[in-house]
Amino acid sequence: MSYIVATDVGGTCTDTVIAASDGAVHIGKVLSTPPDFATGVIDSIRSAATAMGLSSTALLADTNLFVHGSTVVDNTLLTSSGSHTGLITTRGFEDTLRVTRGAYGRWSGLPEDQIKHPVATDRPSPLVDIGCIRGVPERIDYKGAIVEPLDTAAASTAIRYLLDEQQVSAIAVCLLWSFRNPQHERAIRDLINEIAPACYVTLSSDIAPLPGEYERTSTTVINAYAGTVVQSYMENLHSLLATEGYDGPILVMQGHGGLLPVAEASSRAVGMIECGPVAGLIGSRHLGQVLSESNIIAVDMGGTTSKVGVIQNGALDYAREPMVNRYHYLAPKIEVASIGAGGGSIIGLETGSLAPIVGPQSAGSRPGPVCYGNGGTQPTLTDVMLLVGYMHPEHFLGGSIALDRSACLDVFDQVIATPLGMSVEEAAFGIYRVACSQMSDLIHEITVERGLDPRDYVLHAFGGTCPMLAAVFARELNVARIVVPHTASVNCAFGLVASDVVHEYTETQLLGLPAPADKLNAHFEPMVNAAREALGAEGFSNDQIRIECAVAMRYGLQVHELVTPVAGGFPLSDAHVEQQIVAFEQLYEQRYGRGSAYREAGVELTQFRVTGRGLMQRPGLVSLPLGSSDPTPAKIGTRQILVESRNAFVESPIYDFAKLRPGNEVAGPAVIHTPVTTIVLQEAQTGRIDAYMNTVIEFE
Amino acid sequence: MDPITFSIIRHRLYRIVDEAVITLKNVSGSAITNEGHDLMVSLYRADGSLLMGGVGFLHHLTSAAEACQSIIRRFGDRIEEGDIYLLNDPYTAALHTSDVYLVSPIHHHGQLVAWSACFVHVYDIGAKNPGGFCPDADSIYIEGFSSPGIRLVRGGEIIGDVFDTLMNMVRSPEMVALDISSMIACNNVARDRMQALIDKYGAATVDEACQTLIANSESQLRARLLELPDGQWQSRQYLNVGSDVSKVVLTMTKRADELNFDFSGSSAQSTHAVNCTKWASLGGLFAPLFPLLCYDITWNEGVIRPIQMTAPEGSIVNCTRPAPVSVATVGAIQSVNNAACSTIGKLLATSEKYRREATAVWHANHFAIFKFGRNQHNREGIGILTETFAGAGGARTFADGVDVGGEVPNPISRMANVETVENMFPIRYRYRRLRCDSGGAGYYRGGAGMDLAITPHDAPDGGIHYVVSGKGAAFPMSDGLAGGYPGAPNAYLWHKHGVDDSTDASVVETEPVDWGVFPLMGSDTLEVRWNGGGGVGDPLQRSSEAVLADVGAGVVSNEVAVAVYGVVIDGGAIDSVATTARREQLRSARVGGATPRKPIKGLPVPLECGHHDGSVSVSCAGCGEILAGHGEAWKAKLLPIESPMNEIMSAYSTIDGVSLHQYVCPVCGALLDSETVYADDPPLLDYVGAIPDA
Repeated sequence: MSYIVATDVGGTCTDTVIAASDGAVHIGKVLSTPPDFATGVIDSIRSAATAMGLSSTALLADTNLFVHGSTVVDNTLLTSSGSHTGLITTRGFEDTLRVTRGAYGRWSGLPEDQIKHPVATDRPSPLVDIGCIRGVPERIDYKGAIVEPLDTAAASTAIRYLLDEQQVSAIAVCLLWSFRNPQHERAIRDLINEIAPACYVTLSSDIAPLPGEYERTSTTVINAYAGTVVQSYMENLHSLLATEGYDGPILVMQGHGGLLPVAEASSRAVGMIECGPVAGLIGSRHLGQVLSESNIIAVDMGGTTSKVGVIQNGALDYAREPMVNRYHYLAPKIEVASIGAGGGSIIGLETGSLAPIVGPQSAGSRPGPVCYGNGGTQPTLTDVMLLVGYMHPEHFLGGSIALDRSACLDVFDQVIATPLGMSVEEAAFGIYRVACSQMSDLIHEITVERGLDPRDYVLHAFGGTCPMLAAVFARELNVARIVVPHTASVNCAFGLVASDVVHEYTETQLLGLPAPADKLNAHFEPMVNAAREALGAEGFSNDQIRIECAVAMRYGLQVHELVTPVAGGFPLSDAHVEQQIVAFEQLYEQRYGRGSAYREAGVELTQFRVTGRGLMQRPGLVSLPLGSSDPTPAKIGTRQILVESRNAFVESPIYDFAKLRPGNEVAGPAVIHTPVTTIVLQEAQTGRIDAYMNTVIEFE
Repeated sequence: MDPITFSIIRHRLYRIVDEAVITLKNVSGSAITNEGHDLMVSLYRADGSLLMGGVGFLHHLTSAAEACQSIIRRFGDRIEEGDIYLLNDPYTAALHTSDVYLVSPIHHHGQLVAWSACFVHVYDIGAKNPGGFCPDADSIYIEGFSSPGIRLVRGGEIIGDVFDTLMNMVRSPEMVALDISSMIACNNVARDRMQALIDKYGAATVDEACQTLIANSESQLRARLLELPDGQWQSRQYLNVGSDVSKVVLTMTKRADELNFDFSGSSAQSTHAVNCTKWASLGGLFAPLFPLLCYDITWNEGVIRPIQMTAPEGSIVNCTRPAPVSVATVGAIQSVNNAACSTIGKLLATSEKYRREATAVWHANHFAIFKFGRNQHNREGIGILTETFAGAGGARTFADGVDVGGEVPNPISRMANVETVENMFPIRYRYRRLRCDSGGAGYYRGGAGMDLAITPHDAPDGGIHYVVSGKGAAFPMSDGLAGGYPGAPNAYLWHKHGVDDSTDASVVETEPVDWGVFPLMGSDTLEVRWNGGGGVGDPLQRSSEAVLADVGAGVVSNEVAVAVYGVVIDGGAIDSVATTARREQLRSARVGGATPRKPIKGLPVPLECGHHDGSVSVSCAGCGEILAGHGEAWKAKLLPIESPMNEIMSAYSTIDGVSLHQYVCPVCGALLDSETVYADDPPLLDYVGAIPDA
C-alpha cells in the first residue's frame, strides 16, 4: 500500500486527507497551532494515521507524496509579523506604494456601510516604513527601451542606506516597466547580493511581471515582507517531516489553484495567499467532475464570512483585483468572493425601524454563539438555527459539544423578540428568512458580476451552517439543485489531492489582432519551453504534461481584459487566431452583457499566458452500490422544525446521516444530522444519498 | 410595517442598485467610468422622488430625481412600459451636458411603480472642445447637444432615428454608443430586479417598505439635527478664471430639525463655463451632506425634506440660460460642495457627540485636463488625467487627512497607474510624487496632494494637445476647520524646453496654463500640482514628533515646520529648546507680542460650546475663557491677524489681494479660526445658540 498525504492548515483547523493506493480515503482533523503551524501539521497527520490504526512513521514510510496548503502567509500579514522591509523604486515614483492610486487603498476591501462614511476611513498602514523607500535614477519606457540608464552608484548608496541606516533584512525592488525590461532590477539585485548576500530580495519582474506599478509594487513588497517567514516555515516543516521519516517530495498549494514544488514555493510567498479556500474550490470541481457537473456555485459558510466560488464550464475564474488584508497584489489567483455572513454573524435590530440586521459583525469562535455557552451575549445566526429547530443539543458535531438552549432563548427573547413585539418563534422565523434572503441577494450579485445564470448551476453547500440555509436561499436563486458533499468537513485538504502541479508564465505585450500566427507563437514558444523544462525536471513524463496557452484580450480603448484560452493549443495556425477573436467576443458578451462588445474599436491582445500542468494521480472516489430509497432505518425521531413555506413549526422526521445508505431518499421537511453539519430539507424537496454519500437535494 | 419584511426588501433594494452599477461598469468598459467611478445609479419612486441613492458622484442623486420628475411633466400619460428617456439639459435637471441621464420608468402589471436613473460622463458630447469640458464656451450653444427629455427607447427597442441623430453630433460616436448601451443595460437590470421584487412581495408591500424607508431616513436626520445646536455658519469659496474672480458665499442656518443653505451674496453668473444651474447647486450641497451627516442613514427623499436651499437667480449658483455651464461639475458645483462641507463641518464640531464626524474640506479643486491626439499606436484618443480623482483628504478632528485620499462627494474613486497611461498616450511621466506643503497645516494636518509632470514620448505628431479647465488656481480652496490652514492651491505649469526631474536648469520659460487648449510638444513638460486637504486646529499645538515625521516623509518642508508649526529640526531630530522658544514666540506674536495671559492646553478643536438652561456660550477650551454668550458672533471677540497668502509659504502661490485671516483667543493665543479672503470681503460670521435676524 502507498499513500498520498495532503494537509491543509486553516485558521482554525488543520485537516489531513490520505489517499491510499487502494482508493480508500482517510481523514484527520486537529486544531491549528499558530504561530507554529508546522506542529499542527504533524498532529493532523498523526490523527489520520491513528484513525487508520497506523503510527505516523509507518504511514509516512509508505507515503510517496506530501501535498500541503497553509495559511502561513495570510497569518503573517494578519499579525504583522513579517520582515523589516525596504523598497527601491524609480526616482520620482517613490510614493507609488503609499498613495495606493489615490483613495483606492482607502476604500478597497471595506463594506458599503463604511465606504459611505469616508471621514472614518483610512488606509491600512503600509508594510514598508516610509523611511525605508528609496528612489534610484533610471527609466525604462513602455516598449522596454532604456530612457535613462541605471545610476549604479546611486543604487549602491540606496542599498547601503536601507541596510545600514534602516537595518532592513529584506528588500523589494519595483521599477517602472521592469516587466518589459528587467535589466535594471536585476542589476540592483546583483548589487544587493554583493553588498549583503543574506538579505532577502524580491524583484517585481520575477514575482509579478505584469503592468500596473502600484499593484506590482504592493505585490513585491508583500512577497519580500513574508518571504523569510515562509522560508523558515518550510524548512521547519521539512525537518519535522524528516524526523517522522518522510523525505519524499513536498508540493505546496498556490492561490492560482495548482501546486508548486516546495523549493519554488518558498520564494513565492505571495502565491500562497488564500490557497486554502482555493483548494476547497478545486475540491468542488473534482467532485463535480465525478458527478458530471461542470457549473458549480460553491458556498462555504464559516464563522464570520462565507466564501463563494464559481466554477463555469469546469473552469475557475481568476480574481480581477485580488487583495489580502486590504493590500492589493497581482498574482494569478482564483477568485473566491467573501461575503459578510457566517454562523457567528451577530443579529441586531436597527435603532428606530427595528429592522433585523444579520452581520457583518461576528461573535467569531470566542465567545461564539450564545448557545455555545462560552459567554456569548449577542444572538447569532447559529442561535437562530437552534431556535427554529434545525440544530439540536444532542446532535451538534456528533453530540461532542453541548448546546445551551435556555441561555439562547433568554438572550434572543430579550434582545430580539421582545423589542420586535413578537414571540421567540415568530422572531426566529423572521430572522431565518432575512438571513436566507440576504444570502440569496449577495450570491446573486456575484453571479451578475460574472454574467451567469444561476439556473444552470449546482450549489455545493459547505460549512456547519450553510446546509441549514441552502434549501431556502438556493431555491430562491433558482439553482438546479444542491449538493452537500460527503467530503465537506475536509474539503480544502481534499482539494489538495485533486490538484496538479502548475507553472504559470506571462508576457505582457500589446498586439493588435488579427496578426500572423507566427508572431503569436514567437511569444509563446520560450514560455512553453520553460514550462516543459520545469515539469520535466520535476519528473513528469511527456504524457503527463499539459501545456495550455491563453491570451488576455480587450477591445481597443476599453479597460476590461479577458483571459481567453487558446483552443487549439501551441503552436497556433492563422485559423486559430481567427477563432481566438470569435471566442473572445463570445466570452466578452457572456461576461459583460449583451451590447457590451465594441467591435468598431478592434481587438487587442495584451498578454500571453502559458500554463504548464503536470498531471497528478487523482484519488478515485469509491462508488457504492445504490440500495433502497427507503430511509426509514436512519430515522431517529421527529421534532418541531420551521417549515419556511408555512412559516410555522411542523413535526418532522429527523435522520442520522451515519445510518443513511446510498440510494436512500429523504422527503422534506426533514433534518439530517451528520457528524459535521446539519442538512435541512424544506417542503417539496428531496434529499437523495448518492453513490459517494453526497446528499443531493432536488426541488419538486 | 413588519420589520422582517422591511429588512428583506430594503436589503434587496440596495443590491438592485449595486447590481445595476456592476452592469453599467461592465458594459461601458471606459476608463472614466471604471477608474474614475464617474457614474451614478439610483432608484426613484413613481413620483420621481429619491428612493435609494447608490455610491457614485453624489451630486447627481437629487438632480436625477428632478430629471425623472421633468420627464413625468413632459410626457405625462404618454410614458409607457419599456421606455427609456435621455435628458442632459442643465437648465432642466442635468449638471452639464456630458453627464447624460438615462431614466427609465418601471411598470408592474401596467402600473408605473418606480423609476431608475443613471448617468455616465460620456466620451464626448459634441462640444467645441473634446471630452465635454469646454473652456472656450461663452454660451451653452457650443457645449454640445442638450436635450430636456427625449424618448430613446420604446417598448425595449432603441428608436433608431433618435439614436442616430444623437450619435451624429459627437466625436467617436462608437464610444458614446457604448456609454449609452451601458446605461440602457443598467436600467434594464434595475427594472427586471424591481419587477421580480414586486412579483414576490406585491406592489402594495414594496411601496409600503419604500415609504417606510423614506420616513425612517427623514426621522433619523431630523433627530440628528435636534441633537445639534441651533446656529448659523458661513463659508466662502473663490474661483477665478484668469483675472476674473467669482465667489460662492454660503450661509447655513440650522434651526430645530431643519437646515437651510442660503447662497445670497454669491457672484453674478460668469461669462465662463464655471456656472451651475439651481438643480446642480442643490445636488452640490447634498453631495457632502449625504456622507457627512447621513453616513448611517439611507440616502433618499427623507433626507431631502428637512433641507432648504436659496440660490439667487442669475448668480453663479443659479445661472440663467444661455450661460455656459460645461465646467460646472468642477466649477461652481464643486465650490458648493466645498462650502457645504465647510459649514457642515463647523456645525458638527460644535457637538461633543458628533465632533468626530467633522472634517476640513477634502480635495477642493478638481483639475479637468483632457489629453487628446494621436498616440504611439496610431490611434486618436481623448482621455482625462485621472489623477484628478486621486484627491486629498481633509484633516479630521481625531486624525490627519488621508494623503491623496480622494474626496467626499465621490466616495469611490481612484487614479490610473502611470504605466497604464504611458501605454495609451504618447507621454512619459517625469515624476508623480507627494507634494510638499500641500496639506493644510493644523493640529491635524490636511492630507497631501501630489505633483506630476508629463512630457511627450514617441508621439507620432511630436506631442499632443490638452484641454484644461483649471479654474480657481489663484486661491486655496480646501478650507481648514477650527483654525486649520487651507490646503495649497492647484498649479498648472507649462515648462518650455524641458525640465529634467526636479531641477529647472534647462527650463527656458514657465507659463501658467489654467484655461483653454494648449499643445504639449517636443520635450516640453506639463506640471500639475494639486491641492491638499484643509487642516484642523492650531499647528502650534501639533505634536512636534508628527511634524518631524512629516518633514522626514517629505510632506512638510523645513521652512514650513519652523514658520508655521514652530518646530525646529536639527540633524534629523527635534531641537526641543529651540522649538519651545519658537512656539512661544509665535504664540505671543499672535497676541501682540506680549506673553499670553493664560497657559494653553493643546486640543484639536479648542472651540467649545457650553449649554446651560437652553442657552449656549462659546469658550476657548485652550484656556477656559468664555468668548461669547448666547447667539453672539463669537469671532468678533477674537483677535484678527491678516497675512498676505503668498507670504505664508511658497506653496500658497496666489494672486495679489488674497490673504489669510486668522482669529486667535485673546487670552491664550490659541488659533480658533481661519479664512481665505480676497480684496476687502467682510469676515465670515458664525453664531451658535440664537440665530441673528436676516
